Amino acid sequence: MTNSIWGKDHSIAQAYWRTGYADFPIYDLHGHVGAHYAIYMKRCEPDTMACHLRRAGVKHLVFSHHEALFGNMRNEQVYQLCRSQPDLLRMYVAINPHYPERIREDLAKFDAWAPFAVGFKFLADYHNERVDSKAYEPVLKFANERKLPILNHTWGGSCCSNSTILLAVAQKYPGAKFFMGHSFFGDWDGAVKVVRETPGNVWLELTAIPGESGIIERLVQGVGSTRLLFGTDLPWFDEFQAIGGVLSAKIDEEDMRNIFYRNAEQIFGENW
Amino acid sequence: MKDLFFFDSHCRIGSNCMGHSPVPDIPTLFEEMDRFGVDRALIRHIGIDKGALWTNREVSAFLREDPAHRLTGVWCILPSQCDELPEPDVFFALMKEARVGAITLSPFGHNYIPCRLTLGRILDAATERKIPVLLDAFAGKWQELYHFLEEFPRLRCIYLEGSGRWGTDRYLRPLLENYPEFHFSTGGYWVPEGICDLAERYGANRILFGSGLPRFLPGSGMLQLKQSGLDPQSLAMIAGKNLSRLLEEAQL
Repeated sequence: MTNSIWGKDHSIAQAYWRTGYADFPIYDLHGHVGAHYAIYMKRCEPDTMACHLRRAGVKHLVFSHHEALFGNMRNEQVYQLCRSQPDLLRMYVAINPHYPERIREDLAKFDAWAPFAVGFKFLADYHNERVDSKAYEPVLKFANERKLPILNHTWGGSCCSNSTILLAVAQKYPGAKFFMGHSFFGDWDGAVKVVRETPGNVWLELTAIPGESGIIERLVQGVGSTRLLFGTDLPWFDEFQAIGGVLSAKIDEEDMRNIFYRNAEQIFGENW
Repeated sequence: MKDLFFFDSHCRIGSNCMGHSPVPDIPTLFEEMDRFGVDRALIRHIGIDKGALWTNREVSAFLREDPAHRLTGVWCILPSQCDELPEPDVFFALMKEARVGAITLSPFGHNYIPCRLTLGRILDAATERKIPVLLDAFAGKWQELYHFLEEFPRLRCIYLEGSGRWGTDRYLRPLLENYPEFHFSTGGYWVPEGICDLAERYGANRILFGSGLPRFLPGSGMLQLKQSGLDPQSLAMIAGKNLSRLLEEAQL
């Protein structure tokens, strides 16, 4: 252990090993709240999630509610939920392309949901509607005008949110900030291409990647650590598992700091 | 800084027909173990599904490159009727001689039904001798695993996740509840504080640290376990003591 990454004096890894946190805040930019049909989640409500987040030194979790994505919960209710953990929770307004009237209503309320609502969440594969379809246009235009983030669920080979589709969309809406959830998992060349061929409005979000051998290194090499964002899908995945995965990558501590918090602060500021 | 003994239950080494793996040999494995402070590892071959006999031989060769005995090997079994492996008593004696402490099986790659007809002879012997059986081949194949355990309910076994990620509690918990010798390796189990929950409900003695190397790096699972909220005694058991105990109790 002495010669391991955990034993290196004054390192980030050593701090996490000893105490569970480091000398900086973490921003988890890919989370959820609420039960999910496919798996059992013991800690999926704000109070129980907050304990886990605070232990890991997470300052903000930006989430979309499972029930708003898969059920009929409205984003107004999600906004009310945020107020139970006002210092910790921020929300992506969940967009379901099959309910245009709900989208209109939510866009009209967006400003009233400050400071909690910070962007939008697209789950195109699950809703089986391509991100470049008409259904998403009102949100894309809104985000483009206001320079707001959109967290997209992306995956290599997906039908509705693959790298080809998202490249074209990100080029078409250069004002919007595109967070590519899961970094087009598996399509690493496509992920790099999307960042390189867009005008600085794309970031690759790391949920499901930390811990995988060699992937973070590959993305850092391809696009630079300033284009990567930390996320966990909490309550799907453990914060410490993901943090440990970043600490395990063969990248330097400046890269790690970029991933854990600096890039988020570049986008949202230090107090948001 | 040496505050925990780690014994990795989920570690593969070697190369297969798909080319070099990230951990093709012993020096590379030791480099990875040392980088994260993993003390010992139970190693199985990465190419098991492409052959039991040659991968068993290669595991033996790997173990000969480990004079400090940081590693314990896993051999793959086959159905008894085809005479590809010796009788159980001889097979277990050869395992002991080679420093192999556990067995595994790959029925879906090797084309047979994992049941009492095919494996009864060797797995009944393994049950009696408390030899750990790794169930990596059943990763994600829950229906097959449930049938298998109905046939061998007293088998001392360790379930290993494959690519994992999604929480498997709805599948996993009934097995932990009903089969006292069913153990669970943590590699790929990323449920927030889930290790602590399982330990509190079913006992820390049922859970073993596993990295998932080479696909997964040990550091992610190690930090997850270290900061899981477990008491120090349970933490030490899961990190390494449980696997040590299981291997020591095996009567080879």
